[in-house]
Amino acid sequence: MNHSEDLLKRLPNDIGGLPSDRVQQTDHELLPWEKRCHALADVLDFHKIINTEEKRRGVESLGSEMMSNLTYYERWIAAFSLILFEKQILTPDELAQKMAEVEARYAHDSHKDS
Amino acid sequence: MEAHDHDHHPMLTDEVMPGYYEIMEIAVRELLIEKTLINPSEIRRQIEVLDSRTPALGAKVVARAWVDPGFRARLLANGRTACEELGISFYDDTQLIVLENTDKVHNLIVCTLCSCYPRSVLGLPPDWYKAKPYRARVVKEPRAVLEEFGTHIPDDVEICVSDSTAMIRYLVLPQRPAGTDDLSEEQLAALVTRDAMIGVVRVEI
Amino acid sequence: MSVADSAHASSGLRAVKALCEESDFKVGDRVRIAMRFPIGHYRVPTYVRGKQGVVKMILNPMAINNEEEGYGRNAGIKGRYYRVGILLSELWPGYTGPPQDQLVIEVFETWLERI
Repeated sequence: MNHSEDLLKRLPNDIGGLPSDRVQQTDHELLPWEKRCHALADVLDFHKIINTEEKRRGVESLGSEMMSNLTYYERWIAAFSLILFEKQILTPDELAQKMAEVEARYAHDSHKDS
Repeated sequence: MEAHDHDHHPMLTDEVMPGYYEIMEIAVRELLIEKTLINPSEIRRQIEVLDSRTPALGAKVVARAWVDPGFRARLLANGRTACEELGISFYDDTQLIVLENTDKVHNLIVCTLCSCYPRSVLGLPPDWYKAKPYRARVVKEPRAVLEEFGTHIPDDVEICVSDSTAMIRYLVLPQRPAGTDDLSEEQLAALVTRDAMIGVVRVEI
Repeated sequence: MSVADSAHASSGLRAVKALCEESDFKVGDRVRIAMRFPIGHYRVPTYVRGKQGVVKMILNPMAINNEEEGYGRNAGIKGRYYRVGILLSELWPGYTGPPQDQLVIEVFETWLERI
């Protein structure tokens, strides 16, 4: 199998048996947004808007560079956004506008705080 | 979200302003709510569900299995319905298989492809369970990985690694340590750790 | 034949099972995981492909093939998953641990070949 084939045939999450480091017994308390993201995943699955298997597929299809550089829940929310575009539930522009609105709201609130 | 240390750092807005991916999470959620595809109360409720699932639930199941042979038999026959007897519901359509450790077999669990985990009874998995070293190596050199957790399994005990890849979730039923005959069910439950129910350590007194 | 007559003819009574009610494989069957390379989405990791093992458990109920579910197919044809045990010495040539050490993994029926 040559390298360019392997990039498609072996998904970036398919790591069983690959060489790796010692296990570091790391853990962290989920941030509030990470927990909300997990709850969102469950609710999307309950409604079969994005089922668990689609979520897995969506994360894999981010590709190995994003898989290795984004944190766990960053991968999830990126995958949800892309799947929702595919399903024509959201549009890229709609999400961009909403993100700008959210950002402006926080900028406004933090300005009031100081 | 509150800002801390208001006056000593020029990057104040970075502390207050959610990061890019958090903004994305807020935006996706709000858009889906506006389109009435999901309801905010569902998210709140599911956060409560997640908060309520901790390894203490799994420990309760293990302790009951140690003191009640009938329950143990039902648990091994059908993990999900036995947990439901104790009021532990399964909030998705996964089944639960309980793997019993004995003098002859030591079980441990992994998900090499992602992070499948018995969330209903243990809560969310620790970071090391989701990270590459454990997932990559435990299916190839389980004994070496167990040694890194301080667990030595003698050669006459079979290692059985369950790779959780589809619709089943697994919970390890650890061996009850010797010298615990006088302990109550609650005291036994207090000995049972998350890592023992993943199968990377034993239960110790 | 009256209703009473047919009720008495119970000695040969037998409910014939539909094809989907019988599992393709039984516990103890020796199987090989197919050597196959689907792209896009799969739940059969590369390291078990082409390896031989033994069916340890038949998983019920039947479920959608998760390679299809990954593309949003939430209904349709279902099949069975099996828990297949594979010796670590089969998976990893040169495995130095005890010979009985094994891995057990859930595999969808379309991936299993009888040997």
